[in-house]
Amino acid sequence: MSSSLSEQTKTPAAAGVFTLVITGAPYSSQAPQTALQFAHAVLAAGKRIDRVFLYGDGVHLASSLSAPPSDELNLSEAWAGFLTENRIPGVACIASALRRGLVNEPEMQRYELPASNLRAPFEIAGLGEWVDSATSESRVLYFHKGG
Amino acid sequence: MSTLIIIDQPPYGSWDGREALDMAFSLAAFDQPVSLLFCGAGVNWLRKGQDAAKVQQKSIERNLAAAPIFGVEVLLADSDACGRYGLAETDLLEHAIITDFGPELTARFDHVAFAG
Amino acid sequence: MIALKTLHILNKPPEHSRFSLCLAAIGPEDGLLLTENGTLAVTQRLAINQERCFALAPDLEARGLTSHIGSEQAVSFEEMVGLAASAANVISW
Repeated sequence: MSSSLSEQTKTPAAAGVFTLVITGAPYSSQAPQTALQFAHAVLAAGKRIDRVFLYGDGVHLASSLSAPPSDELNLSEAWAGFLTENRIPGVACIASALRRGLVNEPEMQRYELPASNLRAPFEIAGLGEWVDSATSESRVLYFHKGG
Repeated sequence: MSTLIIIDQPPYGSWDGREALDMAFSLAAFDQPVSLLFCGAGVNWLRKGQDAAKVQQKSIERNLAAAPIFGVEVLLADSDACGRYGLAETDLLEHAIITDFGPELTARFDHVAFAG
Repeated sequence: MIALKTLHILNKPPEHSRFSLCLAAIGPEDGLLLTENGTLAVTQRLAINQERCFALAPDLEARGLTSHIGSEQAVSFEEMVGLAASAANVISW
């Protein structure tokens, strides 16, 4: 279902860019799974995703250590694959990540932790990345845990 | 482009509200207009006289009291929720304004978000 | 496709405190999209114009709820993108 040209000229232009913020953790919520299916649909509609931002419990999606049963969808792996294939930045908020034990190599060294576990291509960055999206033309959708 | 960050979870039982405050303060740090709305159990963030030392957390009272200085435009409290939690205007932190929640309120902002 | 002022996306079931909060914020030109456990609300009568109330079909199917809603109201992920893109605003509850 796509807008007809006449609909587009009557109403403000439909958003062409999305930002996805995921705050629900995999398995504790449906957020990462819903967001992934939405993300695929965004690209299928010929629209763009400027970044995927993990906040709060959503940072768990960026763990390289999840090993779900083989007959379950490995959400972290599926997301990493989607981001890599489509060259979309995936960012885990540093404050949320450090609190919950999601660390990359530099943070592992900085805090003298025994290991790092951030899954590529996710990077760690501050809330400034979210502010950047929230203040741009991008339409920001949040995928929170449900209830 | 103005943003409304909504907090509907109470303090100390989870970090949701703290992460919402971080969002608001980040926007303010980048000179973006932002307001905070407390509703549901979230109005309890605004209760005067909190001392979280014995649950080993930082009290957020000082952060919230400083919010206007950091550039958060206004702290709003939903009137229904204040009633349910026994909060009169005098029980709330200074700067908090009691307001009615509804589409007219959210329509005033370009962007409305929760932290989780 | 109906032009929406604000699309409200709600993934909470009716008992969740944020469910009634969301409903209180829906204006006459807005739309509601139920997703995840929010789709359970199709079994109840909501005080919203049915033309402006949608539910994500995959979540309805997962929960055995497809018969509770008209076919125009059950939307695919592709249609969800369309709704989210064409609304003037989106609030994720």
